[in-house]
Amino acid sequence: MRFSVILRYMGAVMLCLSAFMAVSAGISLVSDDTGFYPLLLSALLTLLLGIFPMIFVQKADNITTKEGFVIVVGSWVLSCVVGMFPYLIWGGEFSLVNAWFESVSGFTTTGASILTNIEALPQGLLFWRSATCWIGGAGVVMFALLILPSLGTNKMALSGIELSSLAKDNYRYRTQMVVRILLAVYIGLTLVTILLLKVSGMRWFDALNHAMSACATGGFSTKNASVGFYDSPLIEWILIVAMFLSSLHFGLIFSTFTRKANNIFRSEVVRVYVAIIVGATLFIATSLYFADIYPNIFTSLRQSVFQVVSLITTTGFATADTNLWTPFAVVILIILSIICGCAGSTAGGAKVDRVLLYAKVLVARLRGQQHPNAVIRIRLDGILQEERQVNTVTLFLTTYFVLILLGTLTSTLFGLDLLTAFSSSVAFIGNVGPGFGEAGSMDNYAELPSLLKVQGSVLMLMGRLEIFGFIQFLFIRMWR
Amino acid sequence: MKGIGKRVTVAFLSIVALLTASGVISLFELSNLSYDTDAILSASSRDMEISKNLLRSVDDHRRAIIDIAIFGKEDKSACRKASEELDSQISSVRDNAPMVLQDCLDSLSMYSARLRSLTENYSSTETVVIDSLTVEVRKVDGRRWYVEVYEPSHDRFVEQIKRYTTLSHNQIAPRAAQLSKNAYRSVAPVLISLLVMIAIVLMFYFFVYIYGVKPILRINKALADHLSFKLPYKAKAEMIDEIKELNDNIENLINISKSNKKQGEDAI
Repeated sequence: MRFSVILRYMGAVMLCLSAFMAVSAGISLVSDDTGFYPLLLSALLTLLLGIFPMIFVQKADNITTKEGFVIVVGSWVLSCVVGMFPYLIWGGEFSLVNAWFESVSGFTTTGASILTNIEALPQGLLFWRSATCWIGGAGVVMFALLILPSLGTNKMALSGIELSSLAKDNYRYRTQMVVRILLAVYIGLTLVTILLLKVSGMRWFDALNHAMSACATGGFSTKNASVGFYDSPLIEWILIVAMFLSSLHFGLIFSTFTRKANNIFRSEVVRVYVAIIVGATLFIATSLYFADIYPNIFTSLRQSVFQVVSLITTTGFATADTNLWTPFAVVILIILSIICGCAGSTAGGAKVDRVLLYAKVLVARLRGQQHPNAVIRIRLDGILQEERQVNTVTLFLTTYFVLILLGTLTSTLFGLDLLTAFSSSVAFIGNVGPGFGEAGSMDNYAELPSLLKVQGSVLMLMGRLEIFGFIQFLFIRMWR
Repeated sequence: MKGIGKRVTVAFLSIVALLTASGVISLFELSNLSYDTDAILSASSRDMEISKNLLRSVDDHRRAIIDIAIFGKEDKSACRKASEELDSQISSVRDNAPMVLQDCLDSLSMYSARLRSLTENYSSTETVVIDSLTVEVRKVDGRRWYVEVYEPSHDRFVEQIKRYTTLSHNQIAPRAAQLSKNAYRSVAPVLISLLVMIAIVLMFYFFVYIYGVKPILRINKALADHLSFKLPYKAKAEMIDEIKELNDNIENLINISKSNKKQGEDAI
């Protein structure tokens, strides 16, 4: 393994982050707030970290899978480390652990915060928070792949590791094209959302931040009361559409716009996903209406659809305090936080594709017992799933639940109640953000013990790197 | 970028640039910190000075009143002068005082006005109507007036001045808390720069070793092996720029010398 080559490519990622920090510093300079110097110094430090390997290491013609793997996982971890520089230098509520938690939460698009007063943050730092979400939404390495043309043929190796195998299934293009499609859809979706939010009455700055956060399915808001601050049905509907589209496979969105056959209307996964959203919305709205939580069915529907889409897409924006909702609604929302969006999107979590595949495996198993000699093939979106793929999905889901249970166990050890412990573990590993109980949609993670914040950040990283990526990184020296 | 010299120079300059930038920002934050500390100290000493002056003026007023009421002095000018001084001090404080102190300053003005009116209305004699036909002019018991009328007002005024002192000092506490936050902000850039610097110095060592030191050691060893034991020259290391050229040139030289030797042998 060539460390110098690894350092060079991680440096490329650092250069991208430095550019975003410089933009944030510019925003602070224009708004004349206290975030300018922390952001400027962070940008300089990150620039230097990024540029230093490039001074010495020449472009490598091809990188091995092992090197690519270290580059991708290492870039994620290093981005989180570098991302906490502006917070640490600025001070305020950001202790070392808090800054790390906020940075990891941003890059992994979790959107969980330790801030008790978000509005006290300077505008530059608010933009940096949203930018971390936006960069993390596409994947830190993906940004470097698009921005740095010098990566050449290595794009294939790196994007192959950054994208999960399920995500790659729906891209029926060459790898280099996949990177372009992903970012074109992402940037296009963000620009349209910014414009629509501005038209609906938000300030430019708020529109920019909320659009970046919604399209990354992150959930960082510039307001303490999140989207509930605006109390505007129009803004909520714009965000619902933005969050929903961002949680669909970007390749399918691209195909739909280019009128290809494999579009979102024909996708089996999308159909199941929409059915889950519609079903959950109706069930929760009915429950809220009959529990007299909202005065009429329309308000119940409005609140229900926003919270359902916000949680299933792993965004985590809030317009209502879900702790006040019925236990039935809470359980449905927790289930949605586990299922989450589609593969190949910016959403985290177990992914609806895996859950659907798992359900199909279950049905196939039952059929196999009824007809022992039958050859039962499992297809997902028309693509035949090999046994290896099926086993991987089953193993992934099992590990996913084991990690949730371990997270719950350690959280209860620190005195958290069962609902808070379980829902926050689900929210961390699924990159959802808000949980329930003490970690509710209108609360934050400020009161969490430091060790649990660190545990939460590890779960967030594991969730973002699809569990095995992170675990393998820890045993990279033994990997032959 | 080409040339090992250039690479090392640029790397070195970038370390210097980082040191300078973090130093400048820390200096900026430190100067802010120093400015804030000075502001807090001067605000504190100004408040102490104001309280001291107010107490001195009240005491001057009290002494003048004792002279008039107890020792029977007729001249009230010292008393008036002390009153005027009190008023001017209160009005000068009011100009720069924050909103939270305005109530306290209003009370101070009120007590000052009360003392002034007490002094102005004081007379050593009083006209007492005994019955509808008899009116008698009596000498006022100044000591009693001082104890029963003046002293309670004076004490309340002094209490109010003490309250002002406490309140104005309480105003400094949040600024002091902000100061400690600013102190953190001037230290944080240095600490983080230091960590990044350690990472960069380690990288610098790593790159200089694998692209500078290691290839030269390998070339030297390969050359020594070739000269001593006639082993084929082969230096295995990652080489860039001039070191790569040096390696190529040595290989060429060895090849030329080999071919010259072969030609010589053929000629013989």
